[in-house]
Amino acid sequence: MKMIGAAIDEIYSVLAQMVSSLFRHGLPLTDKIAARTALTNFVLHIHPVRVRRSWIRMSYTLCLGGLSFFLFIVLTVTGLYLMFYYVPATSHAYQDMRDLQFVVTFGGVIRNMHRWAAHAMVITVWLHMARVFLTGAYKKPREFNWAIGTFLLLITLLLSFSGYLLPWDQLSIWAVTVGTNMAKYAPIAGPYTRYLMLGGRAVGDATLLRFYVAHVVGLPLIGFLLMVVHFWRVRKDGFSGGL
Amino acid sequence: MVGLRRLAEDSREISRRSFFAILGWLAFLAASLAACVEAVRFGYPNATYEEPSLFKAGLASDYGVGSTTVLIDKRVVINRDPDGIYAFNLICTHLGCTPRYFTDVTSDLVAKGIGGLRDPLTGQSASPANPAVQGFKCPCHGSRYFRDSVNFYGPAPRPMDHIQVQKGRDGHLLLDRHSFVDLTTRLKI
Repeated sequence: MKMIGAAIDEIYSVLAQMVSSLFRHGLPLTDKIAARTALTNFVLHIHPVRVRRSWIRMSYTLCLGGLSFFLFIVLTVTGLYLMFYYVPATSHAYQDMRDLQFVVTFGGVIRNMHRWAAHAMVITVWLHMARVFLTGAYKKPREFNWAIGTFLLLITLLLSFSGYLLPWDQLSIWAVTVGTNMAKYAPIAGPYTRYLMLGGRAVGDATLLRFYVAHVVGLPLIGFLLMVVHFWRVRKDGFSGGL
Repeated sequence: MVGLRRLAEDSREISRRSFFAILGWLAFLAASLAACVEAVRFGYPNATYEEPSLFKAGLASDYGVGSTTVLIDKRVVINRDPDGIYAFNLICTHLGCTPRYFTDVTSDLVAKGIGGLRDPLTGQSASPANPAVQGFKCPCHGSRYFRDSVNFYGPAPRPMDHIQVQKGRDGHLLLDRHSFVDLTTRLKI
């Protein structure tokens, strides 16, 4: 009996140590403990220690920034799923996209989630920008974050554009032909830019691979880093909402 | 950067340490610039493995006078008029889509009262009684061209690019999609 009791004590102390290493400040029963928890916890550190109810009024932010971020996460996860079945080669791409829709179980759900979330993200990012503009939230001291935001808008649009080619149907190919020809109209750098985008003279295998790499690694990575800075600045500059 | 400021203040009094600091920063700058150049240059392929620009297109006698032949896989059109044979890239000069051949690209315009539409190869004018003239329509933004590549409607800024047609040693026509010639150039037969 004594041995069993000692074993239970041992297990309990190990568990207690695990719990206390995860939740360092115990239950946030007082404001002080709650504040300390928010400050020292990695997951919570992005939150301000203290939030006024008026700062996060839904009718002020309309949740647009948060929605955009949520959609970005949806796109990252569903995009990862799609990558298991999609090969970025002109001989495979269209068939893989069709397979995702008609052969892979739940493939249609994942593809459509990706597609609709992509459309929605472009809309929410634009609306977020409009909200920030209309409430004057871009003004000093938040002008730096407005600039970061414009780059995030650009990244969102480039992600949308690069993803457009990947199904490799007629719409994709000619839309990117048109898009890269627009780039060609730029003075001096135009033709070089087009050649760099296409990896050749016409939309082809090299183009598909380039757009794929930009779509799944390059642009999301830049976007992620910019988002980190964007959210950090929101914390540091304070909310612009009602006082 | 301290080294630079000191250099500006008194160039005679520069310590060995700051001299090497400046040298180090310059080397770092040069390496960074080289990396940037490398990153961009890397993106420009030296070989693209695209279809060659040169291709053969049969004998001149395959093309009758006044005929228009669309080689859709090559995105090239071959025409023959009394002066000879000429060819152009079937690539819209607006934003690069492929215009499609239609036997009638003018009827709706004639109905709108637009005049002066004339088939360049036959000289036939589009009239209310006989409004159809052959040509090309681009599916992307609706540019229209006559059979001889000249744009007459929509956003296209200029005629489609004419390309070099030569007669090879075996008598076959040899076309080069990447070497452009002006609109009046003909291969005399």
